[in-house]
Amino acid sequence: MGWLYTKWWKWLCVVLLFYVVIGGMIVPLAPGIPSVSPLTFKPDTLQTFTISGYNTHFTSPQAGKVQLWFKNGSKFYCPQSLKVIDDNTIETTFAVSFAQQDSFERSNFDVVMNNDIDGTFALREAITLIKGKHFTPDTGIVSSKPLYIKQDGQADTMTSFYLHPASTVKDAQICEVEVVKNKHSLFAFPYREILYESVRNTFYHVPMWFIMTTMVLFSLFYSIMYLMKGKMEYDIYASSSVSVAILSGVCGYATGMIWSKYTWFIGMGWGPAIRNMAFQDIKLSGALISVAAYAAYMVLRGSITDEIKRARISAVYNIFAVVIFMLFVFVVPRITDSLHPGNGGNPAFSKYDLDSHLRMFFYPASIGWIMLGFWIMSILIRIKLIEQKREQ
Amino acid sequence: MRKFLSMFLVLFTATVLNAQGSANTGDIFADNLKIYTAVAVLAIILGFIFFFLFRLEGRLKKLEEGK
Repeated sequence: MGWLYTKWWKWLCVVLLFYVVIGGMIVPLAPGIPSVSPLTFKPDTLQTFTISGYNTHFTSPQAGKVQLWFKNGSKFYCPQSLKVIDDNTIETTFAVSFAQQDSFERSNFDVVMNNDIDGTFALREAITLIKGKHFTPDTGIVSSKPLYIKQDGQADTMTSFYLHPASTVKDAQICEVEVVKNKHSLFAFPYREILYESVRNTFYHVPMWFIMTTMVLFSLFYSIMYLMKGKMEYDIYASSSVSVAILSGVCGYATGMIWSKYTWFIGMGWGPAIRNMAFQDIKLSGALISVAAYAAYMVLRGSITDEIKRARISAVYNIFAVVIFMLFVFVVPRITDSLHPGNGGNPAFSKYDLDSHLRMFFYPASIGWIMLGFWIMSILIRIKLIEQKREQ
Repeated sequence: MRKFLSMFLVLFTATVLNAQGSANTGDIFADNLKIYTAVAVLAIILGFIFFFLFRLEGRLKKLEEGK
């Protein structure tokens, strides 16, 4: 265990974590569309939409031609007009005719944009077409404008309105899509709906579980070694790594709680959000059970005064705790539904989660945080070894 | 126990240190310079952790050498 005392890897850990903390926060997010207003439109009406961009460069001279399409299924429809307000705002008008309303594959339209700096980016299912029926004479209302008459007086009822047949709105036209640059030329992290800026938490939350897994496996190895050879040092190694595993588990849970509060459970109070975290997602419940199992390991150790008995019983318990950890964190979430990537059929660490820019920070973060875990563990081991030496 | 309580306190007060505005409003993250404040705070915290660990190592070395 000479590596406990060497310093080079500890300095490497310092460099990596400073790189991750500073670089990982300063790199901007790629361009994206957070919102489109209004969310719905009706046929035979020329609707003006305000589109908000995020980290976009609409007014920049290098942006070239700013283009926008409304995508339905595999077809791209042109807007009727497009007006750049500022770097992050665009106003566009779009309309579909009454005759056209049933020809769309879906009632939702994606908003897709492109310019030479920001590349192509989109907001999926940004606007919804609310289909209408023809005006009938028995309503007794005549108007030269497109007219909506609510059948039951409810303003937001999707299907209960009638259109005036005299509307002059033409069909939305299918566009030829031609772009100069499809991918943005910025050094930026991917823009992910739901996650937004919080994607940076990947550098903190995920490595915490990597530390826990590494420490758990380390403790398993030394627990088995203790049972085989009976050396007290091995018990010290195992118990120290479990301490770090609990600390990283708590940190992983805390970072995950805060992350999910602002992504999956946005709009919920802390009470319902915590209830959801603990009981609705199997991976979260599993992580909680695992951390609790290791907390019980520490309680078990604290309750036995005889050193050898404590070491033996805790080594045996540790083997069972590792099985619980593996089962609840790695096996069960993969066979049931879970919000976590890589579980319940969701993709994990693929092109959907990580891109080359995120990887430039995620891999150093994983290595750096695991090194920090070993560093804390090495200090705990050294303290316990000194205590043991003094007792002898 | 006191150490654990203070650790939990530090972990959960992090939620009120909300350096960014709402992600959905279209504000540019770095425009209002809040991001640099967040980075500075994080770097200082990390620096203190490393300083503490190195100092602890120095003390342990002295104890191991029997000084």
